[in-house]
Amino acid sequence: MDRWKQYGGLLGLLVVCLGAGLWGFTSTGGALPWAKRSAQTLQRGVQEGSGALIDFGRGIVVAGPIRKGGMMLEFTGLVVLLVLVGIGLYVYVDRYHGLDEQERAAK
Amino acid sequence: MAHIHLGEGSFPLWALVLWTGLGIALISTVVYRVRKGGIKTHQIALAGIGAAASFAIFQLNIPVWGGIHMNLTGLVGILAGPLLGALIALVVNIFSAALGHGAVGLLGANTLVNASEAIVAYYAFRTLVRMDWDILPAGASAATLGLSAGAILMGAIIVVSGVNGSALPRTDLTVAVAGLVGLNLGVAVIEGILTGFVVQFLVSVRPDLVGLVGRVGSDESSGVTA
Repeated sequence: MDRWKQYGGLLGLLVVCLGAGLWGFTSTGGALPWAKRSAQTLQRGVQEGSGALIDFGRGIVVAGPIRKGGMMLEFTGLVVLLVLVGIGLYVYVDRYHGLDEQERAAK
Repeated sequence: MAHIHLGEGSFPLWALVLWTGLGIALISTVVYRVRKGGIKTHQIALAGIGAAASFAIFQLNIPVWGGIHMNLTGLVGILAGPLLGALIALVVNIFSAALGHGAVGLLGANTLVNASEAIVAYYAFRTLVRMDWDILPAGASAATLGLSAGAILMGAIIVVSGVNGSALPRTDLTVAVAGLVGLNLGVAVIEGILTGFVVQFLVSVRPDLVGLVGRVGSDESSGVTA
């Protein structure tokens, strides 16, 4: 398929989604964290609001229930555990795949 | 980032039973199909790494659109497939709920939402690749479509269920939820573009991981091996 059609289709999709995002942003209170926005909107309905779309000053933070609930250690432990399991599976599959190929070659 | 962030007791009991039942039906179907059809070995590793990445990024609030988190479920669906993608959605939601991010009672509903993202992203990506799309636009479009589907399903679940303690009439609730869904579509743009670049990179170094060896050709690989 022509490349301009591919990127044109993608661009169209992104523009529609961005438009919906901007409408959703302003109609649900503007620059609010998701939990506050969600609770406020579902309780009181749509409320116009504004604010910066991007606020780098706030930085990247761990989700409120984990941070405020004192579960940072558990969160970190779970991430490390899952990463280790993922890497372990990757190594296992790589070795298993190699053995499989050797068996096939032997046959 | 579609994910129902309501607390315990937000949905009426019949809705909890309905969404949990549907979630169990989905996971039962997935497990049956996995047992019957088996899993390709490379998907096992991708599922493990995908679950780790998805869980970690699930909990990180980034300062865009007021403060949102990403899911990576579109990426997980494209890489691990619809069956393992649905299982990863369940695992990530269980761990998240255990830490207080998402209610335990909403595990069924949230699994349905996130599994739908992975499933739609997978089939959209395969369809676009079959239509001879380049990897970047195919991956970005598929992930955006998958996340949009999840956002719309999330909105539908909230509207159908109603929210305990909310005095909003159903029509006002629908408009309010539409605003939340709209914001999720905006987030899908960020996550979709990110997914497109990640898939393109993976296809360039390890096309076998994405099941695209025939399309890209192994001699185009940069030679990176595990």
